[in-house]
Amino acid sequence: MSEPRPAALVEVGDGAAIPVRSDRGLFTAWRIAFFGAFAALAGLALLKPDPYRAILKFVPDGIVVTFEVTLGAIALALLIGLVAGLGRIAENRLVSGAAALYVEVIRGIPLLVQIFYIYYALGRFVKVPPLASAIIAMAVCYGAYIGEVVRAGIQSIPKGQTEAALALGMSRAQAMRHVILPQALRVILPPIGNEFIALLKDSSLVSIIAVADLLRRGREFASESFAYFETYTVIALVYLVITLFFSKLIGLLEERLHAGR
Amino acid sequence: MGTIGQITTKVTAAVCAGAVLLTLGLAHAAGKTYTVATDATWPPMEMVNANKQIVGLDIDYLTAVAKEAGFAVTFKNTAWDGIFAGLEAGQYDIIASSVTITEERRKKYDFSAPYIDIGQILVVPKAETAATLAAMKGKKVGAQIGTTGAFEIKKVEGVEPKSYDEIGLAFEDMAAGRIAGVVCDEPVAVQFALQKAEYKEKFKIVGSPFTTEAYGFVVRKGDAALLDLLNKGIAAVKAKRLDEQLRATWLR
Repeated sequence: MSEPRPAALVEVGDGAAIPVRSDRGLFTAWRIAFFGAFAALAGLALLKPDPYRAILKFVPDGIVVTFEVTLGAIALALLIGLVAGLGRIAENRLVSGAAALYVEVIRGIPLLVQIFYIYYALGRFVKVPPLASAIIAMAVCYGAYIGEVVRAGIQSIPKGQTEAALALGMSRAQAMRHVILPQALRVILPPIGNEFIALLKDSSLVSIIAVADLLRRGREFASESFAYFETYTVIALVYLVITLFFSKLIGLLEERLHAGR
Repeated sequence: MGTIGQITTKVTAAVCAGAVLLTLGLAHAAGKTYTVATDATWPPMEMVNANKQIVGLDIDYLTAVAKEAGFAVTFKNTAWDGIFAGLEAGQYDIIASSVTITEERRKKYDFSAPYIDIGQILVVPKAETAATLAAMKGKKVGAQIGTTGAFEIKKVEGVEPKSYDEIGLAFEDMAAGRIAGVVCDEPVAVQFALQKAEYKEKFKIVGSPFTTEAYGFVVRKGDAALLDLLNKGIAAVKAKRLDEQLRATWLR
């Protein structure tokens, strides 16, 4: 018995839905959210310097750490993802099996648990500094998701392309490098943009292993000042500004990519 | 088996007993059950035992206080980070979680009379030669976020503070060699550094406590009725020297 196929699949991205590319009005959701968050931060700092200015002074080094974790992890995750994605479609059973196992295992374990595991459980055997361990945990996790994106991207390119390349006398590796991957890249980039935004937000989880990121800096401030409402308002707004900035950037990248078509 | 007369007698007796209990309850003007927040990651003061029960000196102490003052308590395991926010939000009425009475906290919350005196102490790996926290310059020293231990580390110039969600995670990080010291309440330090099998070979306690602090139970600002009950209970516990028994049981 087969279930009836749904008429349409609904795809909800994690970040790149804002900005909506077709939305060209002056008051787009993105603009309202982005400039609104900025205005709120500035307004609070001006109108109620105590404690807002103190909070804003306290958290910047946390923002730097959040960036370090995010950028470090995405770079490493792309590398892992590419290997995992190519491994998944490899002809060699052992390679494709290993890649599939990695993807299944990692996707089945919550990121928070992975972070604890790499830091505290493996910490007994290998001494990895907190920041590096945060980056590794995030990259290992997101590498699995990106691996799936890479696999789907490559498989979306019609078989005829490979066959044509082989007919022209290219080797399998050459066909992949010069024909398939460049085309797959266009398909892959938007979902990878989404993964990047998701990773940025998930990076707040690393505050659990005493990495002094944006969230932990906020928690430290709140724990001493008891200004919970004010501190977490600022932390939420700062995260919002950062994610919106990057989702816009990714949106623009995608637009350029499609314009080149 | 019994005759109707006997049953009537029994019922009457039960009603009478109920009435007496009710009157007693009213006489105490309390008999109410209060919810108490505690971060049960702070042995031997508060912790979760093998049967998943919250136990510890604080737990026994407040239970004794409640008994003396005639109210009941139920404990709720709550993460330390945000424990004060939950009190403000009304999720519980009392915090009994080794809370040191400080001026900053007093501005926002009301404290009971002090019930135990303790101090902060430094724990280091056995090979460490520093004799004070000040001698740990240029090194990373950990504590639980938002504790007086964390505040003490920040006061010392040149020591790099690290904050953890639980004190156990700080000790584990020191065992892994990532930080050079941990500052916490003395009873907790004794528990981790001298009694835990996996740590007692590795760690030592440096000198004696370098602060003088007192724990208090915390209530919302202006909750005078509850504060009064707590203070009466603490006075009774101290008068009966129950506190000394509890110390002997939990702090070895």
